Amino acid sequence: MDKKTKTIALCGKGGVGKTSVSALMVKELARRKDIKVLAIDADPAVGLCTALGIQIKKTVDDIRNDLIKSIKKGEGQDKASTLNTLDYELFDALTEFNNVGLLAIGRPESEGCFCKVNALLKDIIQDLAKNFDVVLIDGEAGVEQINRRVMKTVDHLIMISDTSAKGVNVANTIKHLAEDNKAVNYKSIGMILNRVRDENEVKDIGKNTSINILGWLSEDNLIREFDFHGRSFLDFPDEAGASKTVKQIIQDLQIN
Amino acid sequence: MELFGETLSDIRKYIEAKNGNSWAIKGRVNAWPSGRGRNVVLSDDMALELGNPRMNSVSCLIWTQDAGLIHDGKISLIGPDIKESNGKSLPFGKIVLAQVSGFDEETTYDKYKEMETVRYSLDLKGYMIRAVSQYQREWSRISKEAVQNGFSFEILAQALRTEYLKKDYIQAVEILFVTSSAGDVGELQEITKNVGRKISALNKMLSEIDPDCDECEYNDVCDEVDELRGTRKKRDEKRIGTNG
Repeated sequence: MDKKTKTIALCGKGGVGKTSVSALMVKELARRKDIKVLAIDADPAVGLCTALGIQIKKTVDDIRNDLIKSIKKGEGQDKASTLNTLDYELFDALTEFNNVGLLAIGRPESEGCFCKVNALLKDIIQDLAKNFDVVLIDGEAGVEQINRRVMKTVDHLIMISDTSAKGVNVANTIKHLAEDNKAVNYKSIGMILNRVRDENEVKDIGKNTSINILGWLSEDNLIREFDFHGRSFLDFPDEAGASKTVKQIIQDLQIN
Repeated sequence: MELFGETLSDIRKYIEAKNGNSWAIKGRVNAWPSGRGRNVVLSDDMALELGNPRMNSVSCLIWTQDAGLIHDGKISLIGPDIKESNGKSLPFGKIVLAQVSGFDEETTYDKYKEMETVRYSLDLKGYMIRAVSQYQREWSRISKEAVQNGFSFEILAQALRTEYLKKDYIQAVEILFVTSSAGDVGELQEITKNVGRKISALNKMLSEIDPDCDECEYNDVCDEVDELRGTRKKRDEKRIGTNG
């Protein structure tokens, strides 16, 4: 039977450590020789690339803007040729390490509506994604942008929150938005709590949310240090508590 | 002269001058396992990369209706085969020569588009292809596992030929591969530089309602090739007929 791609999208309020958690997940997945991983940095500030210490050559929006320029110059091709060209450019934009291909979406800069171009790019990203066993998307706060710029359906939608009421409220709101607006189709939804000081905080939060808590990471000086010094999370020690927690969460998600 | 008559003749001279290896494909059946639609080869799994975007690369398809000009099943290879290559990345040239029938002014461009999609329909385990027709570039990767299992240009050529021959208007397929040097690939780029322009001219002629030939960027290739002149003439006659 053909292997199915598992897609994980992470989102949550800004500043809760979403990108650090994403980077730790990529680091853990990058150890696996038996799977291919596509990591998508959908944050316009390309935070995941920075957290992994990776300098990107080109973003999806660079490709998009080049295409728009060529269309404006009258150099447009038919749809099939355009798709093949975008596919070529997209693969060239991948940064590869171990079993991972990293793709940065970047920030759209062209003015005007280019829905057709965006739709073509989304199609190509989805086609590329089918070649991988796991796709991990580090998104912005909301889910709408994942739908608009990356893909409509994910397997696991994971909210990242710290223990603040604000962080948890945002996670709850995102869940409702995802359900009510059908912004993203998902098979399971869960939450990872970050910067937890005491296990009782997890229990209390569990009482105030309907989102399943997949795991929690303690307030961690090592994560702070990696963030502060801009060190690559690919070098984060395996024996650290955060690494072990993330490893367990990935096992629980049955990535195989 | 046919659309690619001069180019085909130059390619023949090029193959002869480079003195590469030529042989015939054995069998018509592609027995290489399928990648089941998953054909991304990441650099970690890669044994060899051909024509990556920072290297010289040329790839195009040339057709003729003259049965005497194409040697069906013949492969010409200038440079090392896949398993003999030193290094992970090589410049790459690939020219498919096809003998076709039933091409006329109305159908040539559509048939070209169909033939162009053939290379993307290959599903060979451990073989990845990315290509930009507009720039006649082709970038491919072959996995370590595929090389260990004997993947070669013959297997690639056999799979391509099998797919092309599924089109009822293609009768014979011959393929040239070049991996020897950036210079050799560059020479082939020079020989084939007008292939894309001729196809673009054909497309423009058939798709634009009222093109101005004096202002057209493909004017030179149209004037040069009988087949394009013929298509232009037929188009103009049709237009006069329609306008009364």
